[in-house]
Amino acid sequence: MLARQVEALLFLAGDPLSVVALCEITEGSPGDVQRALAEVAARHDADSGLEVAEIAGGHTLRTHADLSEVCDRLRARPPEDRLSPAALETLAVVAYLEPISRPEVGRLRGVSVDSTMASLIDRGLIEEAGRAPDGGAMRFRTTRAFQQRFGLRDAGDLPPLEQFDLTGPEADAVRRRLAEAGLLAESPGSTDD
Amino acid sequence: MVDPLRMPLEIDLFEGPFDLLLTLVLREEIELAELPLVEVVEAALGRDESPWDPATTGELVLVLAAMVELKSTRMVGEDDADEEPDLDAAEARERLAAQLIAYAPFPRVAAWLAERAATTEGPRYRRVPLGAAPAPPATPESSAPLAAAMAAVVSARPVPSLTHFGQRRLSMPELLIRLRTALNRGRAVSFDSLVRNAGRVEEAMTLLAALELARRGEVRLDQQTLFGDIAIHPCTAS
Repeated sequence: MLARQVEALLFLAGDPLSVVALCEITEGSPGDVQRALAEVAARHDADSGLEVAEIAGGHTLRTHADLSEVCDRLRARPPEDRLSPAALETLAVVAYLEPISRPEVGRLRGVSVDSTMASLIDRGLIEEAGRAPDGGAMRFRTTRAFQQRFGLRDAGDLPPLEQFDLTGPEADAVRRRLAEAGLLAESPGSTDD
Repeated sequence: MVDPLRMPLEIDLFEGPFDLLLTLVLREEIELAELPLVEVVEAALGRDESPWDPATTGELVLVLAAMVELKSTRMVGEDDADEEPDLDAAEARERLAAQLIAYAPFPRVAAWLAERAATTEGPRYRRVPLGAAPAPPATPESSAPLAAAMAAVVSARPVPSLTHFGQRRLSMPELLIRLRTALNRGRAVSFDSLVRNAGRVEEAMTLLAALELARRGEVRLDQQTLFGDIAIHPCTAS
């Protein structure tokens, strides 16, 4: 019974529904709602046209990826909204270091990010997150639209930043290239690999 | 990604990849002083290809900056090259390297995000908005307050102000005549007694009238103390 209710609610809702919201609406316990979600997800397997996805802090019913072509025949696909490399890098900085202010992002990137940040705000991918308790510039964070766009379950659903760090040899290579360009003294510790 | 070092260049002095140009410059087979760097920049920018990513642009700027530094060093002489390295500059360069290494993960995250967006663009989401909930029934309210408010708007017409009708209009000629009349007896007149019952505007205009008569030489003004009374003496009497 609860699984049918949950399925109906996921079908009706335009935005992902959190477990808490589902509990409030169905008056079910979190455990029961979780089991109901699993049941609905199992019902919508690869043979189904729909699937249950956990995204942007909730659960939603969406079409399977392989049906995008036929779906787009019914409903015009929204115009492609490509993000420039600069916008993606700025978004990456905000996503990992949020809440972060515009000047802080600019200092890290080494360039002015005013227009890039404004563009990301216009697209609804980042939003204001208030000022620090001791004042200062407005800080920003990513939005649910960001999580939806990149298929993230919630704000923390990102790989660890360390995964993207330069390895020792890669860092040495950066230093070596700087040295070759005459911008850095040859480091005695750098390896020639 | 475009490798700026492999980028072909075509300028008056040289034609070939960028790294060959650098090699020739370092071997001093091309005299750097004769190489117009602006042509190198223009040749690099003039290429009709897809826009560069920031990393490529950054590398190109780095290489060009190194060439500028080398050229300026050779132009001012190489004596300075043997000097002790500037510790502040070395520290700043080390900071630059550290900053570049610290920032390096974010372009990789950006690439991961771009890849992620590409792989998650297949599913389609329901975008049909939920039907609006029915409007709550209007609570019954008495129409009396609304009628009272409307009545006030409809009936209360603004009363035109007539206050300006009662105001005395003063003119300078009139005040001059009044002053001359007061001085007709040939005695000095107290300014305070003249304006005892006058308003501020009239008092100020009377003072102006007295000053005007003084300017014309008809009276002489005498004020013994600051802010004290002014005695107006007719000149004919003196």
